[in-house]
Amino acid sequence: MIKIRFVRTSAAPLRAVPLTAGAVPPRPQRAAVAGFTGAVGQVTELVGRTRRLLLLGMGDGTDFEAAGALAVARVPGVAHMALDARCLWPDAAAALALGACLRAWRFDRLRTQPDLRAPCLTRLDVLVTDRDAAEAAWAPVHAVLQGVWFARDLVTEPGNILTPQGFATRLARLEREGVQIEILGAAQLATEGFGALLAVGAASVHPPCLAVLRWRGEGDGPPVVFVGKGVTFDTGGVCIKPGAGMWDMRADMAGAAACAGAMLTLALRRVATPVIAVLPLVENAIGASAYRPGDVLCSHSGRTIEVVDTDAEGRLILADALSWAVTHLKPTALIDLATLTGSIVTALGHERAGLFGDGPLGDALMDAGDAVGERLWRMPIAAEHKDAIQSDIADLRHCSTGKSQPDACIAAAFLREFVGAVPWAHLDIAGMELREEGAWYDPDRHGLGATGYGVRLLDQFIRGRA
Amino acid sequence: MIETRFATATLPTSGALALLVVEGGGLSALHAAADQASGGALTRAAEAAGFIGTKGQTCVVLGGESLPRIVLIGLGKSAEHTLRGMEEAGGAATSALARHENGALAVDGMPASHAAHAALGAHLRSYRFDRYRTKEPADDKPKLATLTILTDDVPGAEAAYTPLAAVLHGTNVSRDLVSEPPNVLYPAEMATRCQALTELGLTVEVLEPAELEKQGWGALMAVAQGSVREARVVVMQWKGAPDGANPSPLAFIGKGVTFDTGGISIKPAPGMEDMKWDMAGAGTVIGLMAALAGRKAKVNAVGIVGLVENMPSGTAMRPGDVIRSLSGQTIEVQNTDAEGRLVLADLLWYAQDRFTPRFSVDLATLTGAIIVALGHEHAGLFCNEEELATRLLAVGETTGEKLWRMPLGKAYDKLIRSDIADMKNIGGRPGGSIIGAQFVQRFVRGPWAHLDIAGTAWATKDAPTTPKGATAFGVRLLDRLVAEHYEP
Repeated sequence: MIKIRFVRTSAAPLRAVPLTAGAVPPRPQRAAVAGFTGAVGQVTELVGRTRRLLLLGMGDGTDFEAAGALAVARVPGVAHMALDARCLWPDAAAALALGACLRAWRFDRLRTQPDLRAPCLTRLDVLVTDRDAAEAAWAPVHAVLQGVWFARDLVTEPGNILTPQGFATRLARLEREGVQIEILGAAQLATEGFGALLAVGAASVHPPCLAVLRWRGEGDGPPVVFVGKGVTFDTGGVCIKPGAGMWDMRADMAGAAACAGAMLTLALRRVATPVIAVLPLVENAIGASAYRPGDVLCSHSGRTIEVVDTDAEGRLILADALSWAVTHLKPTALIDLATLTGSIVTALGHERAGLFGDGPLGDALMDAGDAVGERLWRMPIAAEHKDAIQSDIADLRHCSTGKSQPDACIAAAFLREFVGAVPWAHLDIAGMELREEGAWYDPDRHGLGATGYGVRLLDQFIRGRA
Repeated sequence: MIETRFATATLPTSGALALLVVEGGGLSALHAAADQASGGALTRAAEAAGFIGTKGQTCVVLGGESLPRIVLIGLGKSAEHTLRGMEEAGGAATSALARHENGALAVDGMPASHAAHAALGAHLRSYRFDRYRTKEPADDKPKLATLTILTDDVPGAEAAYTPLAAVLHGTNVSRDLVSEPPNVLYPAEMATRCQALTELGLTVEVLEPAELEKQGWGALMAVAQGSVREARVVVMQWKGAPDGANPSPLAFIGKGVTFDTGGISIKPAPGMEDMKWDMAGAGTVIGLMAALAGRKAKVNAVGIVGLVENMPSGTAMRPGDVIRSLSGQTIEVQNTDAEGRLVLADLLWYAQDRFTPRFSVDLATLTGAIIVALGHEHAGLFCNEEELATRLLAVGETTGEKLWRMPLGKAYDKLIRSDIADMKNIGGRPGGSIIGAQFVQRFVRGPWAHLDIAGTAWATKDAPTTPKGATAFGVRLLDRLVAEHYEP
């Protein structure tokens, strides 16, 4: 945790100042000697007798989040930092602090020795002239920050600790903020006919559950419903994954984590819109009781599904969760997030998630993503994709056979079968949940590891509806 | 080839007849007449089969002696009743009447343009590439020799069909090229076939290796250097713009790798035979130029194709080679199987340098990633100008050669940074088609669209107007683009 204060003065040993190109920096002569021009991404440190001064170049831009991140990225060893926002509007000051705190996120719960490479910021003083205005601007931003942090922690926790029950336990954090939590256990899921979810969870010693997170908001209107894929670990099941890279599959619950994080943010912001998140939580393990390729499952919707590949388990659990949500919650809009397919990574890489869903809901999500930098790209559900889910022996099959399939589109066509007439959008966020070493990321802007992708997007989407 | 003629709408007395049925609409005059002549058999058969005219639905009625076979073809509701729908219905008719020597398709009660497009669809579907079959039993061949389109407006339909016949010809030129095996169709042979198009009024220039070397086509020549088959670049110009119209040409660029082994980064054996159609982009451009010239399009256009064979050999380019493109930019080759973009790089630069076109559209079977992204129904569209993108997407819908827009951006571009040269030719599996497009964009100045047709150039099953095999994807799309937006 980082302690964030908005103050007029600070005793922090390092003060970072964001500067646009051509702005006169503090200590202008020394800055000029050091070659500081204010170009975007430029960082110059001036060391005084007792304090350090960090000049952050912003070019002609207004990306204060990037400037805040830059400060942390360049001096990760600083535990107590002041960000100088005295020349900034309150919103900009909040963005500066948000950028720094997002970049300074770390996960050291499982370490017994400190990680010397990770940012070690614990105290952040934001220098402002009007504290009240700055704190008022910060409150909703702080809610976003806590939601993202919460999601990142969930995504990072390993599969042996964050089991379905482990995930459910952590939802107590939301309960404290007024979110009502209901957990449907395996027995209840059986009663309610969650045939697909239970099949995916059959081989694990950690039974599946369905978490329902309710934020009542104001008024009795129909809720916006989020559905998040929560596969706490995905071995692939009988269609087991190759060993290399399988460790990543601890993050296969990033869709559920994003929904949970967004619920925390929305609760902290006390939004008026009623929102419900439905999280199918399950481990796709391998074992004697595992479901098999070729099995036919009876899903919650009543429709039968032929299993082609046990590693395409995400769409099965979403099918049941979507069907349950449509039946019981009567949503005004239904949005699911899932690390669903490798195909979407081949299609869009690590820069944009895939958006399936048209109409005003799709437009609103595109806009929300652009606004917060969690970008989407529209993808099609074409006739060929629907054809691909025709089964010889059941109502549907959940994926197609053969190599080089447009599996992201096929998965979306499959999910569409379970949403009825409800306005629905599907976000395939595979590839967006973790940042790994490589050319995709700018280390000045983002740290490695869990991103919390989706929290800000969903929060922004709800803002847009208000 | 079937022969098409247009004739006055009267009930034929022999052969087979196809009737079009609008869902929820009444019967056409000929339909009613045929029903009456058969003693109501058509109505009874339709009822028994549950035929209501849903789009794509067909119902075969075996008639009496004078008309041995009558086929009802569903058009869908009248709102769906587009020219494209007529093409699909025409295609369905060809397929349903294939066993009869003489067939008729009734389009009475519909405008002449609809009759003409039905004829186009019938022809598009009837394409066969059987040049290399020596022992095909006669029974396996479709018998349909003459298709008579029965219409209320014969002169109108004939006039509307004339330009479509040119588009049809262009499509079939393209399909023939793409279908040819790679030992027959290599760069020099393909260039020779382009030269045959001078008959249509095209100016055709062929650039040979000595000239290409001299001009500095380092990227294209690097791909070609592994093969004994020499490279060719063909420039086809059509000058149809009337006086006073914009004389700057539209440029169409096609990747023409007549066979792609992958080179030193050789492909796995299964499916390598498909790489004979790695020249489909060029095939489309050649077919398009034939179509524009054939219908005397009122526009100036230039089609440029880069023809090479990508082979592994002692002279082949290697992963790690750094080559200098025609633009002067250097490229580190990290994978010799990402060769299409090297060919496009020089082609685009040349086109822009020499012709200063109003836009450049390139077509290429560029990446397997586009198939994993979109499948086989949409080609990937990458475009740097909104107006051009919007127009392309719209004509994709009207012609049924559909496009899906894909993103471009800095985050993708930085993945082709090289440690040793201006860029490298691959950037990893994630976002593979976007990275290919970003590479190509480094050689673009001005409005540009890139169509990744790797998933749409070849069909593994029949579609209404495309028998399986070479689709000529892009010929009708781009012909329509030109007709709708760039001709007076």
